[in-house]
Amino acid sequence: MSAVARMVLLDARTVAPYKIQGLVVFAVCVAVLSGNNPAVVVPALVLLLTSVVSAYPFVIADKARLETLYAVLPLPRRAVLAGHYGWALTCFAATVTVGTALSLVIARVRSVPFGGHTLLTSLTLSWEIFVISIAVQFPLFIRFGYSRISVLCTFLPLALIMMAVTRLHLTIVTFAALLKWLPLLWVAGAVVLAASVTVAIATDRRHVP
Amino acid sequence: MSTDKAFALRGVGAAVSGAFALRDVSFELPTGYVMGLIGANGAGKTTILRCLLGMRRFDAGEIELLGRPVPGPVALRQDVGVVLDHTSLVGDWRLSGVERTLRPFYDRWDGARYRRLLDEFGLDLRARVKDLSRGMAVKLMIAVALSHRARLLVFDEPTSGLDPVARDELLGIIGDYLVDEGHSVLFSTHITADLDRIGDYVTLVHGGRIVRTGTRDELLEAYRIVRAGPDELTGLIGVELIGVRQNSIGAQALVRTEEADLIGGHVLIEAPTLEEIAVHIGARAPRRNREMA
Repeated sequence: MSAVARMVLLDARTVAPYKIQGLVVFAVCVAVLSGNNPAVVVPALVLLLTSVVSAYPFVIADKARLETLYAVLPLPRRAVLAGHYGWALTCFAATVTVGTALSLVIARVRSVPFGGHTLLTSLTLSWEIFVISIAVQFPLFIRFGYSRISVLCTFLPLALIMMAVTRLHLTIVTFAALLKWLPLLWVAGAVVLAASVTVAIATDRRHVP
Repeated sequence: MSTDKAFALRGVGAAVSGAFALRDVSFELPTGYVMGLIGANGAGKTTILRCLLGMRRFDAGEIELLGRPVPGPVALRQDVGVVLDHTSLVGDWRLSGVERTLRPFYDRWDGARYRRLLDEFGLDLRARVKDLSRGMAVKLMIAVALSHRARLLVFDEPTSGLDPVARDELLGIIGDYLVDEGHSVLFSTHITADLDRIGDYVTLVHGGRIVRTGTRDELLEAYRIVRAGPDELTGLIGVELIGVRQNSIGAQALVRTEEADLIGGHVLIEAPTLEEIAVHIGARAPRRNREMA
């Protein structure tokens, strides 16, 4: 197992004791979203759930002083940072998988059309929401710790996303008009995420590499 | 680089804040021994440990740990067990979960040994980290360190906050660990009584500098306690009085042994305890009595 994979596993174990609370939040989200258009289920779950769960290891790390543990374990510092992003991607993949299945079920039950294009658009929008949220939050968490800037980090990505939605009048339908640009949006998201990792490593001056 | 030393620091300097820095820190420990790093709160003990462990940068000098330079390969951490003054584990982890979490990181992790140690220490695998007392938490961290077969144990204030029974148990555990000649221990403490039992070497740190390092007996031989009437310690020529404590009844200070011979008159000269050495050196910076005169 690679060092990054071990760090992803450590993040998973860090939040594991709180899985019941996570499932309750997930159930509430599903209950609220099930009455909506199935196309918004995945983006909404990513916005409401993935961002929070991805960042949760930072919350616990601050509380339990896990930065000391990371420094003591035979683990390169870069693997620690990359592992946090890996954990976030894992959360995203899990949310998208469950959310897609849920969307299909809702569409079937409510007899709402939910084709491949709609799904692809929904997933692309989810990816962009995820990228904005993580790319902004993680370098700040890594540089300053969660507790010092938690409010800023929680609301800044949300504000950016809401601003983009409002200013661009973005809906799934209007987003679908960008269909030919969807691959580019995925690549752009990946580039932004990679840039975020680079910034996180560069600003991580608190620690010996 | 040599493997007969558990570690060596040579001329290490590190800026900590505007008012405090490590300066020219040099000391070493041969493999197979216990060293106590003693000094008052804020003397620089934890900073030295963090530099040694590669957990913070240092600006000058060099550090060698188990024959490798620091900072070095992360694989070096396989051989070092660290027990800090806090657990740095998730409070809601059960002790069985601690093993599942840490095992993937260590090549030589011995799960059977971990469970056996917890049993010996009276720790329940189902207990949560947050429910452990301070003494039990220290034992847990020791069990973790011993389960990945560390060759060097580094403790930061391990006995601080422990009751006498727990302290005695802990010192016994360290003694057992040292049965293997390849094992070494460095621990910082301000409870010098611990060193009377297991300390082979002592390093005394004050104000970010090493005041004295050597075997415990060498340190005890290096100083003398002088006691006299209220004004009888003034006017001594060529004698450095360290941490003078004076009241209406009398005065007491620490002096170097070679300078004690220069003191005459009605001055009582005695061998100090480690605690007296630490207290006097920690009380204030050394000063020349001729400068006072």
